[in-house]
Amino acid sequence: MKMLGALLAKETKALFVSPIAYAVIAVFLLIMGYTFAAMLFFTKTATLINGFFQAAMLLLLIVPVITMRLFAEERRSGTLELLLTSPVREIQIVLAKFLASMAVIAAMLALTLPHPLTLQIFADPDWGPVYSGYLGLLLLGGALTALGLAVSALTANQIVAATVSLGLFLLMWMLDTLGSLLPDPYDTVVINLSLLAHFTPLATGALYLSDLGFFATLIMLGLLLSVRALARR
Amino acid sequence: MAPVVVAERLTKHYGRRRGVEDVSFEAGAGEVLGLLGPNGSGKTTILRILTGYLNPSSGRARVAGFDVVAQGLKARRRIGYVPEDAPLYANMRVDEFLAFMGRLKGLDARQLDRAVDRSCTRLSLDEVRRLAIGKLSRGYRQRAMIAQALLGDPDLLILDEPTNGLDPRQIIEVRELIRSLSARHTVLVTSHILSEIERVATRVAILLDGRLLAVRSLAQGASPRLRLRVRNGSPESVRAILGAVPGVTSVAPATPVGEGVHDFVVQVEAPAAAEALAGAVTAGGFGLLEMTEARTDLEALFLDLTGRAAA
Repeated sequence: MKMLGALLAKETKALFVSPIAYAVIAVFLLIMGYTFAAMLFFTKTATLINGFFQAAMLLLLIVPVITMRLFAEERRSGTLELLLTSPVREIQIVLAKFLASMAVIAAMLALTLPHPLTLQIFADPDWGPVYSGYLGLLLLGGALTALGLAVSALTANQIVAATVSLGLFLLMWMLDTLGSLLPDPYDTVVINLSLLAHFTPLATGALYLSDLGFFATLIMLGLLLSVRALARR
Repeated sequence: MAPVVVAERLTKHYGRRRGVEDVSFEAGAGEVLGLLGPNGSGKTTILRILTGYLNPSSGRARVAGFDVVAQGLKARRRIGYVPEDAPLYANMRVDEFLAFMGRLKGLDARQLDRAVDRSCTRLSLDEVRRLAIGKLSRGYRQRAMIAQALLGDPDLLILDEPTNGLDPRQIIEVRELIRSLSARHTVLVTSHILSEIERVATRVAILLDGRLLAVRSLAQGASPRLRLRVRNGSPESVRAILGAVPGVTSVAPATPVGEGVHDFVVQVEAPAAAEALAGAVTAGGFGLLEMTEARTDLEALFLDLTGRAAA
């Protein structure tokens, strides 16, 4: 536990001391604020559903930027050898990087909370979909971060890590359009692997165990693959 | 007392390429074992297996009694490691880095401050401890790396090419440091430079092309050896003259070093035989160009072994 704490402190500091976290958060908030205001003027409806889909798309683009350097940089500079030869477990190293990245994503999402609060002041929004929407974004962010981490653990090149993660995320997001073209049993299978298919219920206020399970599985898969990628050869 | 490091038939293949093959050695407490070999001979691979960064393809190794694969965490807790080229977190301060590494080694808050202080003082890092590592010179970075390895008082210190890239004064400092460390730790040090190993190690393991060719003790106080450079003499007659001098136990075959100039390595009972040797050479009508003390037979051994292995 003590080691995880030390690793977590180091990772969080590395993210928040570098300008990366601030640049990412600023861009995210700018676009989210614009969307929120524009949608409010157009629809005059007290809902955040459009914002949630917008945020999900932004996460697909932003998470690779956060995760690309996490392992690739340590591999390139040789400090990974220092970590792996210390008396710590691989899972502790992976978890520290995952949790620190999640802190950035959580901070980013928390800073959009003025949007629902504004709605609350001027109207009477339905809070159910707001809660489930934010939960959906956190889960989606977690799944993407875990997978991005695994990709970063496989390479010493940050650009490669970012490109591969981005491609993977976009494919997983769009998988349901491909799915609908397939014959009977396959379409259901493929659609059910799509990020969008599992995010939509959450963003619209429907809470299913299967969606929560899907994202939890992706998170575990990503963390497991990261540990495997670090494993001593 | 049980040896601190035991390597048994370590073999590591990278795909089809051979990293190391069938390497076995031991190192006991307080010993400085030098791994000597040209670049690419498998020194770093052996260190990486011992530190748990690589798994051996076959064979096993124990550090302080713990198997480096099956009990990796426990073994790593007993090791301080200085990888080649000092990979450090450039944006951390020296004290921050040491505190981080100390925590990874399981030191608690109270021990940590003291351990970091002690390490900084021991490695003369006090004046730079609040600076970012990225701003430090190569020498300071190497010292920060060694300071990190000393945290937690490990049984085994592993240093991979510790004098690489340092200036002559820094090399002497690191050398003296390694010698002083051997009082408390078993030290495993690699180098591709013979004289470097000769100066710090008590025993040396010679590697070539992934194989361990020999392990030799560099015992101090072995019978002294003198190297004579002689001009104008047939090697055999000079050898006969040198061999006849009282106090000479053996004369190695001559090595030609130039036109009519040969080197002879002579084993003597006491250094006092030097005058008699010089007298014999000049009395025989040959020119004595140089006479020096040959510290060990390591160089000859190394050339002999590596030459034989290559042939």
